[in-house]
Amino acid sequence: MISRAFLFVIVALYTAFAAGPFLWVATMSLRTTSEISLDHYAWPEKLHWDKFPQAWFNSNYSVYFQNSTLVVISAVIVLTVVGAMAAHCFARYRFRINRLLYFVIFSAIIFPPQITIIALFQILVDYGLYNSLLGLTLVYIAVQLPLTVYILESFFARIPADLFDAARIDGYAEWDIFWKVSLPIAMPAIATTVILNTILLWNEFLYAVVLITDEAKRTLPLGIQRFMGDQLEDVGMIATGLMIAIIPVVIIYIFFSEKLIQGMTAGAVK
Amino acid sequence: MEAAPGRRPLPLISSVQRQPWGAIIAFLLPAFTIYTAFTAYPVVRTLWNSFHTVLPKNEEFVGLDNYAALAQDEIFRRAVGNTFIWACASPLAEISIALLLALALFAKIPGMRFFRVAWFTPVLMSYVVVGIIWVWIYNYDWGAANAILRALGLERWVQAWIGNPKIALPSLILVTTWMWTGFNMVVLLAALHSLPSEVIEAAELDNCGWGAKLWHIIIPLVKPTLLNLLVLSFIGKMKIFDLVWITTKGGPLWSTETASTYTYKRAFEWTTFDLGYPSTIAAVWFVIVLAAVLALTWLFRQRDRLEY
Repeated sequence: MISRAFLFVIVALYTAFAAGPFLWVATMSLRTTSEISLDHYAWPEKLHWDKFPQAWFNSNYSVYFQNSTLVVISAVIVLTVVGAMAAHCFARYRFRINRLLYFVIFSAIIFPPQITIIALFQILVDYGLYNSLLGLTLVYIAVQLPLTVYILESFFARIPADLFDAARIDGYAEWDIFWKVSLPIAMPAIATTVILNTILLWNEFLYAVVLITDEAKRTLPLGIQRFMGDQLEDVGMIATGLMIAIIPVVIIYIFFSEKLIQGMTAGAVK
Repeated sequence: MEAAPGRRPLPLISSVQRQPWGAIIAFLLPAFTIYTAFTAYPVVRTLWNSFHTVLPKNEEFVGLDNYAALAQDEIFRRAVGNTFIWACASPLAEISIALLLALALFAKIPGMRFFRVAWFTPVLMSYVVVGIIWVWIYNYDWGAANAILRALGLERWVQAWIGNPKIALPSLILVTTWMWTGFNMVVLLAALHSLPSEVIEAAELDNCGWGAKLWHIIIPLVKPTLLNLLVLSFIGKMKIFDLVWITTKGGPLWSTETASTYTYKRAFEWTTFDLGYPSTIAAVWFVIVLAAVLALTWLFRQRDRLEY
């Protein structure tokens, strides 16, 4: 019984440690900076919901949101189709250089971003894609491709080959086998990669900070950084800005927590 | 997958199995086009850059000059050291705490689903958001870290957590630990749940203590997962950039400079405008990361072989 109570204390302490910072920011997002400076840890007495529209309209948040949404959605769509095609091919066809090609793509997972980022900057400048959302989208597709192929390949590989043989005898063409047999079966894995890529790209900062400088092209993480710089000591307003950035992720999380956890942990369990 | 052809009952079907090269190429072409244009080509170009001085509109071959300069670069050495400390300390901290938490939940604490979801949350936030929150937590006057110490009467521990060169790096390592422990915990919990229950029940019957059960039964059984998580966490920390950039920009006095922040500074912040030298940093760091990951994988394979 004592050990059980001890366990519970540890679990409670860790929960406070893990969730406390969010709770703190949430309370500050509903208080004005003058209230906060009196006591940083008081519960909000009057809920200043009006700070949310203020933060939204006093900055370019709507632009940042639009840019992030556009980049993430287009990158994820292309990633899913291109990644699934490659993964299907690696899992389905036995040809001599299959494993070599797979390894070439897979190994890019461990590349540190520096090894590509300086040259990507030069290349995008050369092709007039620097400071453009299209350029950033293309880079994002390339960055997430290895992980997407890896997760999908391991799923496709578990689809029994007999299914494909049957489809082939029924006269399905290769493309139809992919589109009408593989993809529908792989929907759970596809959903996992979609959610995972959405979150990772929504939060991405390094490539964006190098490849985007134009205020009108900033994505959300760049926008938050900018917002923080603009508001300086206005802690209350920054807290509201942070909450605006946190809320979409939390909404996705509420609806897809199981899928998301699966996606983030895919491959880590052997 | 390799065994599949042997299982195929009808030789008739496998004789039809000519490889449809047209389809294979069509399936792989989009992926490899993107890979070549935005991963392979940039890598090659960075390596090429590293032997040149690359100014806007002017490139000059300088041979190994950049590499010679890098060998003398004190800040780079500092950055490599910091990144390695981070990449070695983090996995140990994250995974040992995560294992204890996973065991706590595995012992059927009520409300397990809630804790699992709550602990996982930090990893979903962008480093920008996390960075700003922790700059506040570490604020000298009103940050939570100092507020808690003051409340506990530990006034002499109160300090500028990320302003003091001696403890800025550990302070930031704590932030990544906060972020990633929940992730590791969820993976370990999944691994624990997939263990055969007879083994654990047998250990319970043998009446061995908690410590012995943990060390002799549970850890060996989840070892593959533990090692995977170690490598994953190590690779992640070797890439760390965002958090440092938002909180300290590598300061104070280079105490939190990492390989990534230093490359970024040399390429895009310093007014030298030369992209050659930062490319050299990137190239050397690339080789270091590859070597470290290969060494780790090799080491873990060796130990497996020795024990079984």
